[in-house]
Amino acid sequence: MDLIVSLVVAAVLLLAGLLFGRAAEKRHYADLKRREAELRNLLIFNERRLPADVVCSRAVLVVGSAVIAEDYFKHAAASMKSLFGGRITAYESLLDRGRREAILRMKERARTLGATMIFNVRFETASLSEDRSGSRPMFSAEFIAYGTALVP
Amino acid sequence: MIYENPPLPEDVNVSRDSVLGEFLRLLVALIAIVAIAGTMLYFLGGWLARFVPFSAEMSWTGDAVLGFDLQEARDGESTQRYLQSLADRLAAEMELPDGMRPSAHYAELDVPNAFATLGGHIVVTTALYRIMPSENALAFVVAHEIAHIEARDPIAALGGGALLGLGLTLLGRDAEALAPQVAYLVLNGYSRRAERRADAAALEAVRRLYGHAAGAAAAFEALGAHEGRAGRIPTFLSTHPATQERIAALSDAAADWDRTSQPLLPLAVSTRD
Amino acid sequence: MELTNLESVPGKTIVKHLGLVQGSTVRAKHAGRDILAGLKNIVGGELKAYTELLNESRQEAIERMVAQARAAGANAVLNVRFSTSNIASGAAEVMVYGTAVLVQ
Repeated sequence: MDLIVSLVVAAVLLLAGLLFGRAAEKRHYADLKRREAELRNLLIFNERRLPADVVCSRAVLVVGSAVIAEDYFKHAAASMKSLFGGRITAYESLLDRGRREAILRMKERARTLGATMIFNVRFETASLSEDRSGSRPMFSAEFIAYGTALVP
Repeated sequence: MIYENPPLPEDVNVSRDSVLGEFLRLLVALIAIVAIAGTMLYFLGGWLARFVPFSAEMSWTGDAVLGFDLQEARDGESTQRYLQSLADRLAAEMELPDGMRPSAHYAELDVPNAFATLGGHIVVTTALYRIMPSENALAFVVAHEIAHIEARDPIAALGGGALLGLGLTLLGRDAEALAPQVAYLVLNGYSRRAERRADAAALEAVRRLYGHAAGAAAAFEALGAHEGRAGRIPTFLSTHPATQERIAALSDAAADWDRTSQPLLPLAVSTRD
Repeated sequence: MELTNLESVPGKTIVKHLGLVQGSTVRAKHAGRDILAGLKNIVGGELKAYTELLNESRQEAIERMVAQARAAGANAVLNVRFSTSNIASGAAEVMVYGTAVLVQ
C-alpha cells in the first residue's frame, strides 16, 4: 500500500514539474527573445582593446545577475541521466536561460546609463545549495555577466 | 572598423530532443536494470550464504531466537514439549543432515504465526496453535518450517538482503530512494518459490509420518476463517501467501486420503484455557 | 576557425568584430566510473575518469562556440576564456566564450 502511495505522489510531482516547468520555460524564452530584440543595438564584446575611434565620456562597470532553479521533473531526469552518464539535456536549457537573463540585465543596466557598447564582458557561474547530507537538494545556480559599458 | 552583433542561432547550446521521451526511456531502463540486478544480487547473496556451515549458524545463534522478541507461553511447557517431539518425528522422516536439529518454541502471541529463523529455531504462536483443527494440520505447519531450515532459507534471506542492500548503496543516493520498493518486490517474488518448495517437502514429510497428506489444506482454511472473524490478515498468510494454486496443490495432495481408515489425529495437548 | 586567447590574431588584421559567442555543455560520468572515483578519494591521485569527462566537455563546448561563430559569419574567435562549474550531481558544466571576428 505504501508502495502505491509513494509512486502516486512521485508521479504527481513529476507531472507538475513537467507541465509547470515547461510553461515557465516557454514564457521565459519568449520574454528573453523580446528583450534581446530590443537590446540588439547595444553591442557586447569580450575584447579589452577598444576601437581606435571610440568616443566615450564615461566607462562604467555594469553587472547583470540571475538565479535559476530546477523543477522536480528536471531534478529526476538529471538524477537518472547521471547514473548512465552523458549530456544532461535537462539542464542545458536552464543554464542557457540563466546566462541570457544575466546578459540582458547587464545590457539593461548599460541602457539606463545611455551606453552603446560593453567591452571585456566576463561570466561567472556559481552553483548554490551545496548541501552534501542525504539525497541531492534542488539545484540552483547564479549567473553573473559583467563588463565595462562605454557611455558616449 | 565594423562592430556589430549579428543574431545567433538558438539551438547551439540547447538540444531540442523530446524531454519526456528521454525521461521515460531512462525510467524504463533504470527500473529494468534495478529489477534484474536486484534479483541477481539477492540470488547470489543467498547462494553464498548457504556455504556457511549450519554448525556455525547454530553456534552463532545459540539458544537465542533472532529477529523476534520471544515471550514463552504461560503454562506452555507441555505444549512446547509436544511441539518439539512433533518436530523431532518430522525431522526424522525428512532425513535432515547430521547436526541439524530444529528447536521448537511456543510463543505467547495473539497473532497466528509460525516461522523459522537462524540456528534451526522454529516458533509457533499460541494463537496459531489454538486454531489448528488437527495434529495433521499442525504437523504440516511444523514440517513446512523445518523444510525452510533444511533449505537454509533463513540465512539465505539474510545474505541476499545484505548483498542487495550493498548493491543499491553502491549505485548511489538516488537508488537508495528506490531501495524499499525494490526489496519488497524482490523478496515477494523470491519467497513464493521458497514457499512452494517448502510446501512440497512438508507434504512429503507428513505423508511419510501419517501415511496421507490430508489436513494440510485444513491448516490454511483455519487461518483464513480466523482472518474472516478477526477482520485482519493473519501474519502467517501475509508472509506465506495462500494463493489459489497453493491451496489447490494442497487439496490435490489429499486426493488419495481414505477418511475412514486414516482418521485425523487431535492435538495431543488440549488448548482448553 | 582560428581560436586564440590573445587580443588579436598575430599577422592578421581584424575586419569585423562580431560580438560575444559562447558554447556550453553539462555532462555527467556514469555511475560505475563515479564509484571508482569515489574509491580514488581514499588513495589519492589523478581522477582519470573526471579528467576524461571534463576534456570531452571542453571539446564539445568549443565546438558549440565555433558553431555560433560560424553562424555569425566569423573566421576567428579571440579572447577565448573557459569557465567550469560544478553541478551538484557529479556533473560539471563547461562554458567557453570569446569574441567572434572576421580577419584577413
